[in-house]
Amino acid sequence: MPDARNAVLLAMSAPPYWHCGRTVQRQSLWIAAALAPAVLCALWNWGLPALRVMALSVAVCVAVEALCQKAMGREIAVDDGTAAVSGLLLAFMLPAAAPWWLVCLGAVVAICLGKMAFGGLGANPVNTSLVGWAVLFVSFPLLMDANAMQLDTEFVDPLLRLKFFGAAAAEEIPFTDLLLGHQINGLGAGQAGALLLGGSFLAARGFVRWHIALGFFLGVAGLATAFALADPAANASPFFHLATGSVLLGGFFLITDPANAPSRPLPMFLYGLVGGALVMLIRKYGVYADGTPFAILLANLLAPQLDLLRPKPFGGR
Amino acid sequence: MKELFTMLTDPRFHLLYGVTQRFSMGPEPRQVRLNRESMTLSEGIKKKTRVYPFMKLGTHPSPLKGDLYSPIFGVVSEINERSLFLEAVEPDEELRALADGVHKADVMELARDCGAGAEGRKRLAQLLKELGLNTKSLGQECETLIINGLNPDPGITWAEPMLMTHRATLSAGLALLRQLTPARKIVLAVPKEMRLQFHDLEVASVPSQYPASVNELVVKAVTGKERPDGVGIVGLHNLWSLGRVVETGLPLVETVLTVGSLRHSGNYIVKDGCMVGELLDFAGIELREGDALVRGGPLRGESLDKLSRSVTRGAMGVFVVEAGTVPPMQGHAPCINCGACVLICPAHLSPNLLSRYAEFALHERARKEHVQSCLECGLCGYVCIARRPVLQYIRLAKHKLAEADQQKLTPLEPVGVTPGNEPASKEDSHA
Repeated sequence: MPDARNAVLLAMSAPPYWHCGRTVQRQSLWIAAALAPAVLCALWNWGLPALRVMALSVAVCVAVEALCQKAMGREIAVDDGTAAVSGLLLAFMLPAAAPWWLVCLGAVVAICLGKMAFGGLGANPVNTSLVGWAVLFVSFPLLMDANAMQLDTEFVDPLLRLKFFGAAAAEEIPFTDLLLGHQINGLGAGQAGALLLGGSFLAARGFVRWHIALGFFLGVAGLATAFALADPAANASPFFHLATGSVLLGGFFLITDPANAPSRPLPMFLYGLVGGALVMLIRKYGVYADGTPFAILLANLLAPQLDLLRPKPFGGR
Repeated sequence: MKELFTMLTDPRFHLLYGVTQRFSMGPEPRQVRLNRESMTLSEGIKKKTRVYPFMKLGTHPSPLKGDLYSPIFGVVSEINERSLFLEAVEPDEELRALADGVHKADVMELARDCGAGAEGRKRLAQLLKELGLNTKSLGQECETLIINGLNPDPGITWAEPMLMTHRATLSAGLALLRQLTPARKIVLAVPKEMRLQFHDLEVASVPSQYPASVNELVVKAVTGKERPDGVGIVGLHNLWSLGRVVETGLPLVETVLTVGSLRHSGNYIVKDGCMVGELLDFAGIELREGDALVRGGPLRGESLDKLSRSVTRGAMGVFVVEAGTVPPMQGHAPCINCGACVLICPAHLSPNLLSRYAEFALHERARKEHVQSCLECGLCGYVCIARRPVLQYIRLAKHKLAEADQQKLTPLEPVGVTPGNEPASKEDSHA
């Protein structure tokens, strides 16, 4: 054998040698791509202020994660894109008129407390973006209230209308307006049609688990239908509930974060179902107009228990 | 419907490739590296000994491991602990005469002469061992024997041609297998899309999407039970080897394997000990810096460090995985709990937990998480987006547990304990 052939340096590896080709980085890119329609819709509906909030949130999240990794003596891994996605999701739940320091504070809390404090990507027990959102929402309720912040707009807040003016007033808002994002809400969470488009794509490609999303939407729609059937005058239709608040954002992008979700099909479905049902219970009986973020945080905490539901190992007796 | 939601979108995981061409003969090796581990070399085999095809080079001490025969005309160039190297030579008259003098046995007649019953089967196993066949996993202890007729790994394509085109060889092997196994029922498991019929053999249809070809899953598909007692399974590859020996009447010095890269794929009958470099040259596959060279299947094989490694009897494939076609493996990457491995594991395990236990040497916890049920199909690593070597971690845990069990196997007996004073000591300990 000629020596030249032996000079080829071969890569040693461990089985399997083939791979599905998905990496954390590519997954983040796909999720960002799925969020792109909602980003465009947010720009269309809210203009440059929305861009300001999104850019700031993403930039601060990435910078804070890099700083944390540096401080922890870790390899800088912000190029995996997960911090950017978390930042974008956080921005989606903020009003477009949120002051800059609120965005920065939310981003810092989300990454530090919601991710790095537990050891980084995938180790957090609850959703990273929601931790940031929850701290802001509890600390600065007025600034986080999109209805109070967005005064210069023709849109209305459908959930507040439902809560204080009744189902009939809420149903007056055309459904197409809700889908097109013509509603007061978080700047991206309200872009219902765009989120449905992007989220369905992610679920079909297997980037998010369809079991969770399906369970979540069934939970919301099922309970909403039950309420509507019981008292049609006091309760809005399930379609109204699906297209308002953060339901579509939560069902496709927040509750499906696999680090906080169970891993097997049945537990995933139940997890989604519980999350969806909690949304409706908070909306109907709670003090908050939109219960989605808190419902998802509660469902996150339930995930380890649901993970105990598991089949016998192969050949186990 | 179920396939719609599978995570394995790669068409290569569908283990039917429509390949039916006859196997081509592999290269005439210029150099041969034979595995001689724990073999006793035949008398007169030393450096510079001239050898001819089917000359016996070594005997394996185990009655279940095949003996070693020379595949080529050559001269012994080196002998070490593990390997025996041959250099091909042009045979002279004397060597040619020796090669012509090799006796072709009528294996079936010899097999019948061995007689029936357990003793007969033992004699037959000994006969096959002397013909270079490993008889370790040919279903000697079972009532039902399943022949795994699927391509074992994605990318390996020799199963279909064996079943369709080389059926005579298979039938010969089957006749011999019937003599060898005590099983009353032999079932051939083939992909459900293949409509095969044998007049003398029961055929069972099984799913054809990898990991369906893993032995345990084939058994489950045929019998409906997970790890049932009294069921044995034998690979198509082994059956073909048996048939080859019957057909030629000569010891086994070759193997069928798939040589594959991204663009090329072909099935060859390759001489035992043929070096991988020569094989790739023959198949016209060029290697570049950073490519991974795999012996065995692309999901369960082993990666080779140099081209002078060889393929031995029982090797199923040689694959080149080009640099850049897969994201590189990250040995130090932490698990990010994405759950893809849990969702895909055919043994219903949690490879995410298992790999972390192995990473932090918590092997006893891995045992509690049923690491022993792992089928080692490799899918956990295939879907891992953090590119962790998940299967390697699991194998490490299994290995460490086996080592620990080995040490436990010799419990210390207390000296001088008689049945009389044993209850007394028990009472003492309770007091």
